Amino acid sequence: MEQGVPRKVALVASCLLNQNAKVCEGANYPAVVSPVVQALRSRGYVLQQLPCPELAFAGVRRWWAVYEQYDTPAYRAHCRRLAQAIAPLIEQHLRRGDELILIGLDGSPSTGVRFTSSKPDWGGRPNRPEDDWEIVPRRGVWIEELEAELARRGLPPVPATGWALDMGRFDEAGARADLEQFLDSRETAAGSRGDDPVVP
Amino acid sequence: MNRDARGWRMALVPDALINPPAGAGAALPDVLRVLEASNYGVLQLPPPGGHSLLLAVIADQVAEYAHHGYAVVALGVHGEPGNGLHWRRLAPLLRNRGVVPPPRHLIRPDVDTSAQGQRLAAFLAGYDLPEAEQRRWRV
Repeated sequence: MEQGVPRKVALVASCLLNQNAKVCEGANYPAVVSPVVQALRSRGYVLQQLPCPELAFAGVRRWWAVYEQYDTPAYRAHCRRLAQAIAPLIEQHLRRGDELILIGLDGSPSTGVRFTSSKPDWGGRPNRPEDDWEIVPRRGVWIEELEAELARRGLPPVPATGWALDMGRFDEAGARADLEQFLDSRETAAGSRGDDPVVP
Repeated sequence: MNRDARGWRMALVPDALINPPAGAGAALPDVLRVLEASNYGVLQLPPPGGHSLLLAVIADQVAEYAHHGYAVVALGVHGEPGNGLHWRRLAPLLRNRGVVPPPRHLIRPDVDTSAQGQRLAAFLAGYDLPEAEQRRWRV
């Protein structure tokens, strides 16, 4: 990893750089989610893609699922393995004084940051009517396990938000304004503090 | 109706091409922009170093894509260790998962940036799976 001046680093959900990772019928873009990349790069962030936990666990042809269906010991163990794979890179960034943020995918059962999808009675034959899951304010399973792994390493929490792609009806303009507000609030906070993140 | 917009193509990309080191950016085409314009997704490779577990995780993902009708290429940087692709370790990981290592395209930082960008765009446009494979998976 390049040494020198601390950088601003955005940890981004895999599907924000590669919509091919999305569950069937879930890709809103051909490949890169351009508004997210533009918002980050125009503010000087470099990008670090996170692995996609669902793809490597349930496959690219997986059914849709909600938080409760992925909240299993086997899936959490898989997420911990992925977290252990990416955590050393995140730790390197923090130890060299880089400013990190995390952009997840709100509404996702795995990568949700502010919201995840919930329907405790989902299961069996996948014949549910459209959009009958609920959006609840909590992390997805993958983000929970990633944050737990960083905490186990004694690393500080990474400020995080989610691109609201999996919230039911997708509103790109609203999602963009929301993301830009998060990013700009980080700039304002950093400017007023004038300090660097501290890693023990 | 399936309104899924996925492009079915993606590239393994070295960290150095997504986040060029300070001062090197001007010598390289904006690879992320070319990929975006070519409807290719990104599978970001880590910077030089160990990353054994992460490379295995990436190989798992490439295998899943390659076995289900997705086209995968690899972009390297001439002059970087292993062209930035960790190829000596990644290629065996892919073979162990039954994946033929993807076609590679090298970016040369010492050659005209605009021409490099055009060469890359032409490479990306010209690659895909055979039509029979596309019909089998891409419904």
